[in-house]
Amino acid sequence: MSNKKSNTEQQERLAQALDFSNTMKTFNLSKNNLKVKTQNLLSYSTAGGSFIVDQSLISFVHFVVTSGKTEIKILDKNSIPIHIEDTVKFLEEISSLYFEVTNDYYNEYQKLRSSRKIEKVLEI
Amino acid sequence: MSKGIIIFAQNNDYINYGKTACACAGFVRKNMSKFDEICLVTDEYTLKSDEKLINEYFDRVIVSESSQPANIRLFKDTSSTPEYASFRNMSRADVYELSPYDETLVIDGDYFIMNNVLDQVWGSENDFMINCQYRDVAGRHGGNVSYIDNFSIPMYWATVFYFKKSEYTEHLFTLINHIKYNFKYYYYLYNCSGNLFRNDFAFSMALHILNGGVEFKVPRLPIEYLNNSFDLDDIYRVNSHNDIIMFCATPESTEKHILTRFTNTDLHIMNKKAIARCVDDLLENGEKI
Repeated sequence: MSNKKSNTEQQERLAQALDFSNTMKTFNLSKNNLKVKTQNLLSYSTAGGSFIVDQSLISFVHFVVTSGKTEIKILDKNSIPIHIEDTVKFLEEISSLYFEVTNDYYNEYQKLRSSRKIEKVLEI
Repeated sequence: MSKGIIIFAQNNDYINYGKTACACAGFVRKNMSKFDEICLVTDEYTLKSDEKLINEYFDRVIVSESSQPANIRLFKDTSSTPEYASFRNMSRADVYELSPYDETLVIDGDYFIMNNVLDQVWGSENDFMINCQYRDVAGRHGGNVSYIDNFSIPMYWATVFYFKKSEYTEHLFTLINHIKYNFKYYYYLYNCSGNLFRNDFAFSMALHILNGGVEFKVPRLPIEYLNNSFDLDDIYRVNSHNDIIMFCATPESTEKHILTRFTNTDLHIMNKKAIARCVDDLLENGEKI
């Protein structure tokens, strides 16, 4: 009798787990799309060059600025050397882009993970 | 330096590409700002079918009756109702001659711009930019680089590309045109299967030849990935000029779909019938001249 009950319980738990996998499928797809969107938005172009704005670029340019260099030649994402005339302005702009985009990513990610209902996330 | 965005559209029996291109242009105008003009390259038949609408969305129309051998492809509308129809995609190779601009951004008529990242192309150091990396928005395809064959060269997506008039790009488009007229030979040479002429393949081969056939890196657009929604997906709802909810077909069963929302990110929607169903919403959320 107890064996039968435990079998039923196990099946229910299995059904719940499989049902949850559907939730995770939707969550993972939305999370991946958010990630790709963030990668596309973290792009900054100046002086004919295009840069992927990430922590290492910001750290490097911060080092350049604190070293007292006001202009530099730097490789962009296509390995083209680009002349940056004003390193302080460049640092300000890439930093503010990074914070703005990652802040949006954070907000959208929190909204996604705090809701089990896709209807809520999509506002449908 | 003049800066223009060019969209190609030629109607066939299956799709009203002219109207789709208007929706696409409306999204460009709403989300980008640093260009001078949006231009449609089309044929007389397409222009006559929607002339009033086209003139509301495009600053300039170029009529090009370029020769177009039969090119028949399979169109899908999700996993149901596949249909064969003619596919008029060969005039894109003429864009170097057709473009009146110093700098040109070419986008497909089913590529919906939903942010301003591509405004960063103007004034680039590079003569030509195109992307190799893509992402399937439904997560069905694991990799993010396609090859024109398993044993061949990487595929560049001619969905979106930028060029400025220069010696390099003039030679590139000469080669693309040559490949277009001899594509069966080049398909054989590059181990490509199929009989359908694809701009993606012609661009990839021309880039490979022009760069000396050695390892090379073609400069990428400011966007890292093309966000591709394939024809198994569908549009659920258009919320605004930068917000679309899609039905994405699942990897295990293409008849099942997951809802996903795309905000502030460009989207290449390959299901033409899905665009046609929502074209009025897309037009309404875009911006006219």
